[in-house]
Amino acid sequence: MTKVLSIQNLTKRFGKLVAVNQLNLTVETGQVYGILGPNGSGKTTTLGLILHVIAPTAGIFEWFGGNEAAVDARKKIGSILETPSFYPYLTAVQNLRVVAHIKKCGTGNIDSILKQVSLFDRKDDKFRNYSLGMKQRLSIAAALLSDPPVLILDEPTNGLDPEGIAEVRSLIKDIANQGKTIIIASHLLDEVQKVCTDFCVLKNGNKLHEGPVQDILGETNKVELSCNNLDQLDRKLDEFKGIKAKYQQNGSLFAELESNFSATDVNAFCHEKGITLHKLIPQTRSLEQEFLKILKEND
Amino acid sequence: MIRAFKLEWLKLRHYKVFWILLGMYILALLIICSFGVFFLEWLKSKGADFDGLDPTIIPIYDFPDIWQNTTYLGSFLKMLLAFIVIISVNNDVTYHTLRQNVIDGISKREYVLSKISLIFFLALVSTTTLFVAGLVNGSIYSDVWGRSYIFDELEFLGAYFFDIFVFCCLAFLLALLIRKAGFVIVLLFLYSIMFEPILTVILEHAPYFENGIWPRLTPFFPIHALNDLIPIPFGRYIFQEITDYVPLKAILISSGWLLIYLAGVYGLLTRRDLK
Repeated sequence: MTKVLSIQNLTKRFGKLVAVNQLNLTVETGQVYGILGPNGSGKTTTLGLILHVIAPTAGIFEWFGGNEAAVDARKKIGSILETPSFYPYLTAVQNLRVVAHIKKCGTGNIDSILKQVSLFDRKDDKFRNYSLGMKQRLSIAAALLSDPPVLILDEPTNGLDPEGIAEVRSLIKDIANQGKTIIIASHLLDEVQKVCTDFCVLKNGNKLHEGPVQDILGETNKVELSCNNLDQLDRKLDEFKGIKAKYQQNGSLFAELESNFSATDVNAFCHEKGITLHKLIPQTRSLEQEFLKILKEND
Repeated sequence: MIRAFKLEWLKLRHYKVFWILLGMYILALLIICSFGVFFLEWLKSKGADFDGLDPTIIPIYDFPDIWQNTTYLGSFLKMLLAFIVIISVNNDVTYHTLRQNVIDGISKREYVLSKISLIFFLALVSTTTLFVAGLVNGSIYSDVWGRSYIFDELEFLGAYFFDIFVFCCLAFLLALLIRKAGFVIVLLFLYSIMFEPILTVILEHAPYFENGIWPRLTPFFPIHALNDLIPIPFGRYIFQEITDYVPLKAILISSGWLLIYLAGVYGLLTRRDLK
């Protein structure tokens, strides 16, 4: 895999505040890379740094292996940073013409892009008359306009309604499926878990963790069980030798299993004992739990 | 440069405020270039005379004097062009489109070039308007006619262009430095027509400063240097000796300021974070 972005010892200070501290990151082609962190952890500053709008205090970074001038590299990156920034007195089409001129990508696909983000019907309306969701979708259109190999998204679903959020997510997945590289900063863990392949966690400008999302997820040794008579199940399970611990909560029984036992064994045991389960859910880890754990470990 | 101008053109082409301001400016320029005759008529109707001379025979529209006369008057209106520059730069700052432009893939140098191309365009429109108005007024009122007269002293048009260009670059710098458009407009306006002129008059004529080094320093003040590019021409009509050329000293000092403004703009853009 080739490197799309590599960051070495990147540091940014605002006076006494260290917004980004000695950050090292590598993003490879085809990754959907999530930058996670609580508010104020340095996510947006990092994106500002790698897009040359914030001057680094120290450290270096390279786009596409450093073979291209910075301006040319930026033309190959579609970016959505925080709030949509357009000329309020221009229409969607006129605004996209400015972007196309800067990106040197031609205006031929403006209409099709606007259709893709469902703004085609309002393409000749001025930007200032748009709702927040429409503004957000216009910035997605602007980012996709030049069909860039890399996309940078900062809180891409901010201000969107549930339908819009779902649309953006499926859009991100579509784009990722085309083999493009995506870098997403977010504090919405659910979002990252659903779309990202790799992620890192930032806190107070420090990188606390980095790795594939897959490694962190996966199944645990915990199962959730439920049946008509929970207490009977609870008692019977004492006879099951693979059990480590169990407790009842919210009408379910949670059982932690020994490492060589699985949900299948539990099911077989219950069947044998004549208990019909109506719920048997192996517990998966969520990014949220892992994220909170990582933050806690580094407190 | 054409690419840089196209960027600016895409931003301004559908911007009503820009066209209204530019239209009002051209109207004001035409009025100020052409009102001389009416002004002299008015003087006459009020019974004014200059040692028995009829004011209306004063040859303000004779070639080539017309160029110094109209460029001197027209220069007062450059403030309006500076407002256009301030508004255009301020839009990019307040709408965060300067940042977005950079993110989308222009260098800060290209951004500076795009605004300079706008300033160049404004100065060119103004100089051309003034030139055409001068030709028309001259053809109506000039007592002399002929290529050698008409195209003499065109250096004043050059000085006029340069005057606008430098002044608008100052406006560009201030608009980047101070992000509030209204404040920049008031500051530039008051500084150019009040603060600096009053200060220089005090330094040149107040007894306390008169004999020191101060009167020799005032030509180096930014607005003073620009005003010196086109010296006041009307003294010649009351038989005073006037400077009827563009002084080299003023060109050099203004060029120095221009370099400072552009260096300031570039330094601000490269060093400051865009938020």
